[in-house]
Amino acid sequence: MRSDSELVTGHGPRGGRTAVRAARLVGLLALIALVIAFPSMAPDSFILSVGVVIMSYAVLATSWNFVGGFTGYVSLGHASYSGLGGYATALLILRADVNPWVAMILAGLIVAAIAVPVGIASLRVRGASFVIVSIALVLILLLVFQSWGTFTGGSNGLRIPRPFSDDVLRPEQHERFFYLHAALLAVALLCWWAINRSRFGIGLKAIREDEDKAQSLGVPTFAYKLVVFVISAFFTALAGGLYALWFGFLDPIFQFSILVGAYMVLMSLLGGIRSLFGPLLGAVIVGYAMEFFKAQYGDTQAHLIAMGALLGVVVLFMPDGIIPALTNLVNRLRPQAASIRELSAAELAEQRREAEAADDTKEEVHR
Amino acid sequence: MSGPLLLQSLVLGVLLGGLYALLAAGLTLYFGVMRVVMIAHSAFLILAAYLAWFFTRETGLDPLLSLVFTVPLFFGAGVLMQRLLISRLRPATLTMMSVLLTFSIALVIEGTLGFAFSGTHRRIRLPYSGAHFELFGASIAVVKLIGFGLAGFSLVALYLLLKKTRFGQALRATMQHKDAAQLVGINTDRVAGYGFGLGLATAAIGGTALSLDSTIYPSLHWHWIGPLMAVIVVGGLGSVPGAAIAAMALGLGQSLLQIPLGTTWAQTFFYVALFATLMLRPQGFFGGRLAQRF
Repeated sequence: MRSDSELVTGHGPRGGRTAVRAARLVGLLALIALVIAFPSMAPDSFILSVGVVIMSYAVLATSWNFVGGFTGYVSLGHASYSGLGGYATALLILRADVNPWVAMILAGLIVAAIAVPVGIASLRVRGASFVIVSIALVLILLLVFQSWGTFTGGSNGLRIPRPFSDDVLRPEQHERFFYLHAALLAVALLCWWAINRSRFGIGLKAIREDEDKAQSLGVPTFAYKLVVFVISAFFTALAGGLYALWFGFLDPIFQFSILVGAYMVLMSLLGGIRSLFGPLLGAVIVGYAMEFFKAQYGDTQAHLIAMGALLGVVVLFMPDGIIPALTNLVNRLRPQAASIRELSAAELAEQRREAEAADDTKEEVHR
Repeated sequence: MSGPLLLQSLVLGVLLGGLYALLAAGLTLYFGVMRVVMIAHSAFLILAAYLAWFFTRETGLDPLLSLVFTVPLFFGAGVLMQRLLISRLRPATLTMMSVLLTFSIALVIEGTLGFAFSGTHRRIRLPYSGAHFELFGASIAVVKLIGFGLAGFSLVALYLLLKKTRFGQALRATMQHKDAAQLVGINTDRVAGYGFGLGLATAAIGGTALSLDSTIYPSLHWHWIGPLMAVIVVGGLGSVPGAAIAAMALGLGQSLLQIPLGTTWAQTFFYVALFATLMLRPQGFFGGRLAQRF
């Protein structure tokens, strides 16, 4: 919980605050350096491709977290937006001969437009029906994309031409797409961070904590939910499109799979939905575990059991995620946060008098 | 569209609607007592179908006899699930987190089924599998009729249990207003546990009925959960008669639309109905005050 740590530092000694800021800055720089250095550190092109997959998951989970983290509405069907993003990108390239990168952006906008009516339908009633619609949308899209073979390629899938020319070799492709994913992730994170600090973000978080109270305080809850839902769909679609360009092949079964949506939820919850970097951390852990599992045990049903069990454990025992748990641990080592103000009444009175004096002088000037 | 064909799809629609109605009633029970959307309901449905298939394969007896084991087993599992898992969740985020929790249970069930019985499509061969009789030119398969009879019988039994018994009264009171029910001395925790057990028992019955006439495989439950969710939203979350009526209407609609559209596109009817309901009447067509709440 970010707010907790801010509370603590706000009341603690001045030195603690700058130290925390410095630590955060160093951490951020280290993270950026790690991401930039990863392709040159990867021993072979397989590890690099795993890196791209994990990055893609990180973008998806961060995009999911716009809705999940701010409003607390859990969508199990975000695979519909990533799948639609991928398909829209592919179809624009194949059927309309659009430049791949323009197609990707256009696909994001198209999916955002589709998300508007879906959001209106699913956000009008609280909670349960939102989840139901999100699941239904994935199932309906799977059905449509499998059946409508002439347009979407049906169950045979759809092959997408590579955006880079053929003389760019595989490892080079992986490297470029790794950086592209990282750039998209950075934009998504920046956007999340900006919303988190804005009035809009405060309204959304009020909805998460208590929607009735938020509404009675004048937060336009429905409009706020809808806007953030559309933003989330937009980023998810971009991630889907970018992944499609990298992978080069789309199959409805994998694009419109409830499992993909569930991965996004699991990653975000595991890392911590209230933290900026929570979904990224979750994506790294879950993505790595998944690739490890696949390499060790092949494509059996075991990964379903493992994932189900992990999701259950997270929901039951750690619904706030790893980052808040760690923050609490660190806070325990720091000087105790006091709920009582550490300012005596006399000091407070002195401050007020100074402030009033300043106001008075201002008014004098105005007169 | 010819007369017999129309009649045939009407009959099939009613037979299918009966099964939907029973399963939707189970979903409504969970929702009523705990405000839980139980994604794992259809996974338990498939689990029961697998148990019936396994029972027949091992003993050679009729799959209907497996109900003797599966119904009490599922009832117990439901009570345990409510007591040990669902009730541990924080009340503030219960609806969302219970969706995730039951989703994870569904995944574990699907994975375990795949692990134990492999992904092969399974089907029970019965001496009366192919039997059917004619009714005004429409042919009705005996197995489908048995399934419908089972569902109808269970629904009536459930209705009587809810309306006529003291326990049913307590259950309905818990669904309507938990705090008030507690005030008049109902042990709502225990009642909620039993309500959950009853809901899961409907999955056991439905699964056995399903195993009689369809091919089963571990990931089949995804094909059931969507339509069932649509049914309870259209009916109004938390209303048992609403769910039953909506199940019948949607089952009939799907069956009739299969003639002009084909089976695949006819399935989209459920989702169209779901979106239309949320747009026009978000609380559902039969849901009252309950549906508004969340």
